[in-house]
Amino acid sequence: MLEVKGLSVHYGPIHAVKGIDLRIDRGEIVALLGANGAGKTTALKAIVGLLPYAGEVWYESRRLPQGAAEKMARRGLVLVPEGRGILSRMSVEENLWMGAYVRRDRSAVVRDIAGMIERFPILRERRNAPAGLLSGGEQQMLAIARALLARPRLLVLDEPSLGLAPLMVERVFEIVSDLRRTGLTVLLVEQKARQALSVADRAYVIELGRVSAAGPAAELAHGSALADAFLGGER
Amino acid sequence: MSTYAAGLSADIGIALLGGLSVYVILATGQLSLGNAAFMAVGAYLASALTVYAGLPLTAALMLAGLASGFLGVLVGFPALRLRGIYLAMATLGFGEMTRSFFLDFAPAGGAGGFRGMGPVSTAYIWAWSASLLVGVVLLERSRLWLEFRAVNDDERAADLIGLNTTAIKVGAFGLGAAIAGVAGGLFAYHQLYIEPGMFGFDRSIEMVLYVVLGGSTVAVGPLLGATLLVLLPEFLRFLADWRLAAFGALLILVLLFRRQGIIDRGMFRGLSRRKWATP
Repeated sequence: MLEVKGLSVHYGPIHAVKGIDLRIDRGEIVALLGANGAGKTTALKAIVGLLPYAGEVWYESRRLPQGAAEKMARRGLVLVPEGRGILSRMSVEENLWMGAYVRRDRSAVVRDIAGMIERFPILRERRNAPAGLLSGGEQQMLAIARALLARPRLLVLDEPSLGLAPLMVERVFEIVSDLRRTGLTVLLVEQKARQALSVADRAYVIELGRVSAAGPAAELAHGSALADAFLGGER
Repeated sequence: MSTYAAGLSADIGIALLGGLSVYVILATGQLSLGNAAFMAVGAYLASALTVYAGLPLTAALMLAGLASGFLGVLVGFPALRLRGIYLAMATLGFGEMTRSFFLDFAPAGGAGGFRGMGPVSTAYIWAWSASLLVGVVLLERSRLWLEFRAVNDDERAADLIGLNTTAIKVGAFGLGAAIAGVAGGLFAYHQLYIEPGMFGFDRSIEMVLYVVLGGSTVAVGPLLGATLLVLLPEFLRFLADWRLAAFGALLILVLLFRRQGIIDRGMFRGLSRRKWATP
């Protein structure tokens, strides 16, 4: 479904991502793991058109153009960015409507919003509140709900557990696990490697801008690659 | 209605349009300090089309609005690269450039100004002002307005949702400029004489003040702001030389306690709420 070939990203003189290859098949949950500053978010931003890059990004057998972030949602590739990207001065309800912006089937959107607040009851309670007044966990629920309203075929979650209380982190991973049942394809970028591996089918470990390990989640969970990436193993 | 009251009422109608022109652009998070320039273009064009070409005023105002709107779109594109204070400075520069242009543009009368327009009734001015206010209020209830606010809130997030932020920002500039153009045409016909000095920096600031004072999150905010800013100096006349100082102090007080302006969207939320999705 998504294939990335030789992805390289520079921030000025800094070579942040150094030729990453990765592949995600339909219906899979794939985790992109790595310590802070490894280059995960940078790679993600490049894939969704927020950063210029060298290399190729193929999505549903078509090469994605660079710098076209606003077109990704229409193609079914929806990102929940690090920091959630909610529209903080707009109400929860307005955020949900904006999530379905790319859709034209208004009656189905109304149904889906109803379904979404059934799934995330906190959104019903706070529907008229400015989204910026929600707690971090509630904002993450809103961000995921909003992304799902676009009816994505590939959902990209960038560090969804960042800055959340432990209970909320568990809830977020439960939600990701639930997404598997719907058959949605998910690319999950996380620092919380163990929890991410518990919900993922496969994973890539990024270290200093390169893929240092890749494979089935169960294998990576028991290997040493993770500890090396996060704690610094021998090279 | 006395001539004095009719004059003030017409001033409010025109000021309202000036405020709305800033309001629409500000809704996307862009602060324009050059809307007097769009007003000048509308004023000169509507005047020339009626005085030289003999066009009916309504048609001339429509064309003036279109031309100003087109100019707004042209200004909107380079404005995409700028934010906050830098955008404000750039639009201010555009305003001064336009004023200087009309100062040197002999066919429009240059520094001597342009005359030949006939008087229009206050009712005619208000027909335009009320229609455009209703138009903006309806726009506020539309999906397009949600897009404006989303871009204002977080442009990057709006991008990721799938909004064409470039089109929205440039479009808002065009719409605001078109409203300012109509305001300019009406202003020319209300004053019967125009000169470049009438469309300087202070005029642009006044337009921003209507929005800041009245309310920047709801269209009736500029209406309240325009009304107050036109009437207050009149009502404060008993203070003689101190009236402008008192006016300034009042302005500061309002901004200290109501940063979003005297009225805000929250006051109207119950009226404009979209029906919730659940039965």
